[in-house]
Amino acid sequence: MNGKGFFGCLAALLIAMALLFTPVAVLAAGGTQIVCITCHGTLTGKFGEPVKLWQGSVHAENGIACNGCHGGDPADAANAMSPARGFLGAPKETAIPAFCGRCHVGVEKEYRASAHGRALGRGGPTCVTCHGNHRVVKASLELINEKSCSRCHGFERARLIREAMAETEGQMAAIDGRIALFRGRGVDTDRLEKGLFALRNSYRALFHNVDVELVRKESTRIQGELKVLERVLQGVDETERKRKLAGVAAVAGALLAALLFHLLKKSYD
Amino acid sequence: MDNAGRRKFLVTLLAGGGAAAAAAAAWPLYRYLAPAGGGSAAAVVVIPENEVNEGQAKFFQYAGSAAVLVRKRGGELIALSAVCTHLGCIVQWVNEKQEFLCPCHAGLYSAEGAVLSGPPPKPLAPIPFKVAGGTIRVGEVA
Repeated sequence: MNGKGFFGCLAALLIAMALLFTPVAVLAAGGTQIVCITCHGTLTGKFGEPVKLWQGSVHAENGIACNGCHGGDPADAANAMSPARGFLGAPKETAIPAFCGRCHVGVEKEYRASAHGRALGRGGPTCVTCHGNHRVVKASLELINEKSCSRCHGFERARLIREAMAETEGQMAAIDGRIALFRGRGVDTDRLEKGLFALRNSYRALFHNVDVELVRKESTRIQGELKVLERVLQGVDETERKRKLAGVAAVAGALLAALLFHLLKKSYD
Repeated sequence: MDNAGRRKFLVTLLAGGGAAAAAAAAWPLYRYLAPAGGGSAAAVVVIPENEVNEGQAKFFQYAGSAAVLVRKRGGELIALSAVCTHLGCIVQWVNEKQEFLCPCHAGLYSAEGAVLSGPPPKPLAPIPFKVAGGTIRVGEVA
């Protein structure tokens, strides 16, 4: 290969890698550039900060860009913030649950039924109080911590909820790990993943209700359903074990056949 | 043992081994191609017709997953998978709007299971059913 060809290949490889690692901001808009990020990404201070925060969020991780929440036209810089194109801007504090609840329907319902939701507009927390604004973090046990909860009230009740959830969350994390392991080995885990997602989502939506007894009661039910998933995983384990045994038997059979052929050949010598 | 006897013994062993190997290779192929047999009959769920009122939905388990029967206003019956095609949450029936809503990310489906809005990539999967003698037999082709 001459120098020109080498540099051509190198350039093609670099372009392919650049496309492969294109930020989700581009992917989320169906292949078009998100103009919000192009513009705000170059700004500093309060106009540029949301982009940096969003880049570390669960939304960015899952391809949900600015327009997913704020509306507008992410493909047209001139009309990106036009109300006629559905731009909503930033919600007022009391409108935050409804703003997030457009997608997180189940969570909003549980939140509104809770002491947190009933205190909305009277000093009560909204979604961003715990999950963050722009750097939206995934719901997890770590979110229920003394430092966060003590901003508004004592931690005792929150600790009870956290304790009630710990075992079930641990069970879900273990199943998630096993599913990831099987997925890595090429097993079709789509149905298992969806099953776990549905359970985890309904469970986590529930604890927005901040009702200790309800969390305890539902934990028992969810643990029962998680056991069903565990049984399916055991079935996959068993299939893999049988396949390994079949592989060993096939190799042993081939070796035995080779020996028999060798002996047969010798009988003709 | 003379050579002829030895050969016959070795050939018999090899032929037996070959037949066993061929059977072992053919078994997975047979299992893949063979009809499901009694499996589909076991999957049939029988629901009394009067349990699904007009404009209402009835959720149940079918073949290990959540499923739903809807009787639309006007009487038409529809059986669908109740598993959202986005991330697998179980959809809910919104009676006032006669639509399905996924509580996880607000995927909205029509009573027929078609995607109306939100992130679901596909409609809710239809399930065959048959109505006979006052019962709905979900899993049987009409």
